[in-house]
Amino acid sequence: MALAQAKRAATEARLEGLSLPASGAWLAQARGAALARLSEMGLPGRRDEYWRWTDPTTLAAAEAPAAALFDDGGERPAFDKIDRVTLVFVDGVFDAAASDDPAAAEVEITRLAEAGAQDIHWAKDLYGALEARGQAPVARPFAALNTAIATDGVLIRATGKAAKPVSLVYRHASETSDAILHHCVKLEEGAELTLLESGPGAARFSTVLEVEVGDGAAFHHIRTQGRDHERRVAAHLFARLGAESRFKTFTLTANGVLTRNETVVELTGDDSVAHIAGAAMGDGGFHHDDTVFITHDAERCESRQVFKKVLMNGAEGIFQGKILVKPGAQKTDGYQISQSLLLDERSQFLAKPELEIYADDVQCSHGSTSGAIDETALYYLRSRGVPERAAQALLVQAFLAQTIEEIEDEALSEDIRTRLEAWLARRLG
Amino acid sequence: MVALDKSEVREGVDRETIETVKAMSGTYKYGWNTEIETEYAPKGVNEDIVRLISEKNGEPEWMTDWRLKAFRRWEQMEEPKWAMLNYPKIDYQDQYYYAKPKSMAEKPKSLDDVDPALLATYEKLGIPLKEQMILAGVEGAAETPAEGRRVAVDAVFDSVSVGTTFKEELKKAGVIFMSISEAIREHPELVKKYLGSVVPQSDNFFATLNSAVFSDGSFVYIPPGVRCPMELSTYFRINAENTGQFERTLIIADKGSYVSYLEGCTAPKRDVAQLHAAVVEIVILEDAEVKYSTVQNWFPGDAEGKGGIYNFVTKRADCREARAKVMWTQVETGSAITWKYPSCLLRGDDSQGEFYSIAIANNMQQADTGTKMTHLGKNTRSRIVSKGISAGKAQNTYRGLVSVHPKATGARNYTQCDSLLIGDKCGAHTVPYIEVKNNSSRVEHEATTSKVDDDQLFYCRSRGMDEEEAVALVVNGFCKEVLQALPMEFAMEAQSLVAISLEGSVG
Amino acid sequence: MLEIKNLHVKLEEEDKVILKGVNLTVETGKVHAIMGPNGSGKSTLSYVLSGRDGYEVTDGSAVMDGEELLEMEPEERAAAGLFLAFQYPVEIPGVGNMTFLRTAVNAQRKARGEEEMSAGEFLKFVREKAKALKIDAEMLKRPVNVGFSGGEKKRNEILQMAVLEPKMCILDETDSGLDVDAMKLVADGVNALRSEGRSFLVITHYQRLLDHIVPDVVHIMADGRIVKTGGPELALEVEKNGYADLLAEVM
Repeated sequence: MALAQAKRAATEARLEGLSLPASGAWLAQARGAALARLSEMGLPGRRDEYWRWTDPTTLAAAEAPAAALFDDGGERPAFDKIDRVTLVFVDGVFDAAASDDPAAAEVEITRLAEAGAQDIHWAKDLYGALEARGQAPVARPFAALNTAIATDGVLIRATGKAAKPVSLVYRHASETSDAILHHCVKLEEGAELTLLESGPGAARFSTVLEVEVGDGAAFHHIRTQGRDHERRVAAHLFARLGAESRFKTFTLTANGVLTRNETVVELTGDDSVAHIAGAAMGDGGFHHDDTVFITHDAERCESRQVFKKVLMNGAEGIFQGKILVKPGAQKTDGYQISQSLLLDERSQFLAKPELEIYADDVQCSHGSTSGAIDETALYYLRSRGVPERAAQALLVQAFLAQTIEEIEDEALSEDIRTRLEAWLARRLG
Repeated sequence: MVALDKSEVREGVDRETIETVKAMSGTYKYGWNTEIETEYAPKGVNEDIVRLISEKNGEPEWMTDWRLKAFRRWEQMEEPKWAMLNYPKIDYQDQYYYAKPKSMAEKPKSLDDVDPALLATYEKLGIPLKEQMILAGVEGAAETPAEGRRVAVDAVFDSVSVGTTFKEELKKAGVIFMSISEAIREHPELVKKYLGSVVPQSDNFFATLNSAVFSDGSFVYIPPGVRCPMELSTYFRINAENTGQFERTLIIADKGSYVSYLEGCTAPKRDVAQLHAAVVEIVILEDAEVKYSTVQNWFPGDAEGKGGIYNFVTKRADCREARAKVMWTQVETGSAITWKYPSCLLRGDDSQGEFYSIAIANNMQQADTGTKMTHLGKNTRSRIVSKGISAGKAQNTYRGLVSVHPKATGARNYTQCDSLLIGDKCGAHTVPYIEVKNNSSRVEHEATTSKVDDDQLFYCRSRGMDEEEAVALVVNGFCKEVLQALPMEFAMEAQSLVAISLEGSVG
Repeated sequence: MLEIKNLHVKLEEEDKVILKGVNLTVETGKVHAIMGPNGSGKSTLSYVLSGRDGYEVTDGSAVMDGEELLEMEPEERAAAGLFLAFQYPVEIPGVGNMTFLRTAVNAQRKARGEEEMSAGEFLKFVREKAKALKIDAEMLKRPVNVGFSGGEKKRNEILQMAVLEPKMCILDETDSGLDVDAMKLVADGVNALRSEGRSFLVITHYQRLLDHIVPDVVHIMADGRIVKTGGPELALEVEKNGYADLLAEVM
């Protein structure tokens, strides 16, 4: 079907003046294919069903709206106590001086900017491939745009068990920066890796992370999205899981005027496990959208979606989560919970928890709730001498706890917990 | 003993279920076709057909204009595609939009003058003889009181209301229950005021088409403070071939009134799919309550998916004033295609909406059904209980919207959507939209999908039930909450329908 | 009444053999008990006899009153007069206990070519049976086993037995999860059903149930076979010395 005129115009406007980054043959080919995908689907507009509750206008605009730099008051950076290999990007540009030597990692790391020239790079079969698979049945135009024009990123290949996490740190230095990063991670059979991402990235920041989890491999992903109030993010995570593999991702979001996190996971090997969790805290001009699509295409797989949002002063929380169970994906165990705690009258929670099931021997369920803080519990705590705001903070922590429990590593979950407590102390303390 | 029987039906499945299954030997019960001479309007729809329908109903000019306005709007509209339904393109010009049994042209003097085929139809529908006479339009029949069952019936045969029973008795209570074409003539002030006030002419493609071409339907008005003395019931039956059926129902419950309304639907077996697009509007004023129950058993098509009714229905209740209350209960077992979302506009403070649904899709059936709860008033309450059962190669989707507006403080919603799969060739889908725009409201949604429990089936079989009985029993248990919400009149029929609809789904 | 010969059974989905040649004859009107340690195959025997999925009979036969059970559907076995009191009775939400019973009774009657019972008759019939088992009317109205305590579930099984009037009853670990009072109530129910034409096969881990339901014959099962058969005294021996000694002696 031909694109509507308005959509075509918007897409052309976005692409005008952009040229595909110069790169070697295989990368150029992948970029070209992505561009073709994009021109077919067009950038989303307000009337697209998948953008029912999130206005994509500022993400699609040719120019990124400016975002003031945020002074975190000397807050300790995320994961600072974790022994890790850190790679720093400032407004989307790799900062070698601020980074550890990639060779120090127990995995193979190449910068995207340098990989194009290597003719037989392993990422050839991965770059843009999972993104392309993830375009059906729902189009994800910003991901295709990213594949086409991403300037940098890292390509990580793990063959064994990496004890040290790889940590990608995204700094925001210019008020008008518009950054696009694309990462690929390939876990060979039995490999293990923890990937950390932190920081606001840029005024407008687009990331695509494609993760191929081989048979028996395990991938852990923990992300904190930075607290710059005015930043905008469109983050995509595409993963494909082999047999008996494990995939766990957790995202903490506090603040940000617009965040759209799309997670697309395909369970293609039998007995694989995928857990996707997110905790979001928003105050004021905060719009946070978790969009998740899980496809069960193998037997005896387990998927979990655990999303909680705490919203105040008119903040908006969105959850669109879907479990698709394909014919033959018997013994699927799929579960999804999305909950929001609205701390004042003006905040909003909008949710679409979907199930689409074509196999009969399955256990799938979802739950979604929205409401205010439990007054009885609050009263109970206060009657025991806990001041109101502290009591609120305590109940909010308890509410979010289920998501943090999804982080397996103790030190990492402790890091996240501390950050969360600090946020609560500032808002409710 | 009567009281006892009652309590047992409420337990879940009854022995009758099983008996009925046997009696009906697994085929579509209502699949006969009545040989009645029918008067058709030419095929297709245009302004002349709309005018013809209006003229045949003896409508005043304002009504004709209302229809024409809708028709012109419809011509600009596109058929919606968002439902998880897959059916061949409908040629709207290849349908008859008006069919009327010829025998209705003049009123018969006694039962002997009535077209025997028409009478046979009512008998098969299970309507008592006395009511058959009234429905057949026998002069004077309405004056003598009927004994036994106390349900007033309005029957719509193809596009035309063929008669309403208990009219006189209802009149004494001040209740108006008649066909909508009569109401347009006799109570224009009520129709003018309320028609299209809940489902506007331009609401959606199918509702707009209905607004242009509806031929008949039922009209109910319950005056202030009146508790309707009996259940009101409409039987819809499609008989003529290639005929679209477009009924329009308008129910107005004035302040402090109460009515329970039942709707039953059947159609004969046909090889060709038939179109049905009805609109039901309910207006509920202060402190009034309406219960609307449907047992929809349109012909679902055969096991290969041939024929069947395409059912595109718009139903909406407007709780317009404080403490108004509506309860939708539906048992959807028929139709090849079901597109239906009985909804509640909760505008009055403290108003309440409930939706109880059983949707069964077997063989090649496709159902996309659910509800919309729009909370606009303060302290409004809604409850959704949906039970979807998929078998054969069927696709069954729950689609719903719970919307709590910023001003609807203190609102509550609870939603429970359960899906049951029988066999590995069918699909069960849940598509709920939840929009909460204030924090004093509490919204809870739960959904599950699973297959019929093997342990439960084995337990039943080890006690002597065969596999189909066991499935019928377990499924009826699964649906119990919804079956309980039905009036007694319908509960039995619904239980047996559940069993019949699943025939051939195991083994 | 029941004659099991050389019964070999394995799990359908795994290569795990559970019954390795069971031979057992239960005479009409007699009460036989099967005792054995965990994992000896006792429960499997009860499931195979009642026709549960998941097991594959590789050899042998089980004949009840001249009819081969193993070839019948579960409901045909029930109609033929076999009854299994489940170790873990299944919960069926939404289906009233009374409805369940009546559906079962009429299905069996129909299968046997008998007249179905009217609602009134049936209610009276069940109420009498229920009274003897101290099952109140409230419990009959509730959904099958849903929210029942362990004791209530087991009494409900015995009520079903009383109502369905089978000729061959298998009790699978009916004492598990019961305190002494509840066990006594269940045992009284069973004893009341003992009659000349009815046989019982009582499967249990502990001897204590057999204090209340005194068996005519006691079998010891181990590793998928009946390894020893004797009178009630055999149960007492197990109680006193445990299975280990006994098994060491026979194996």
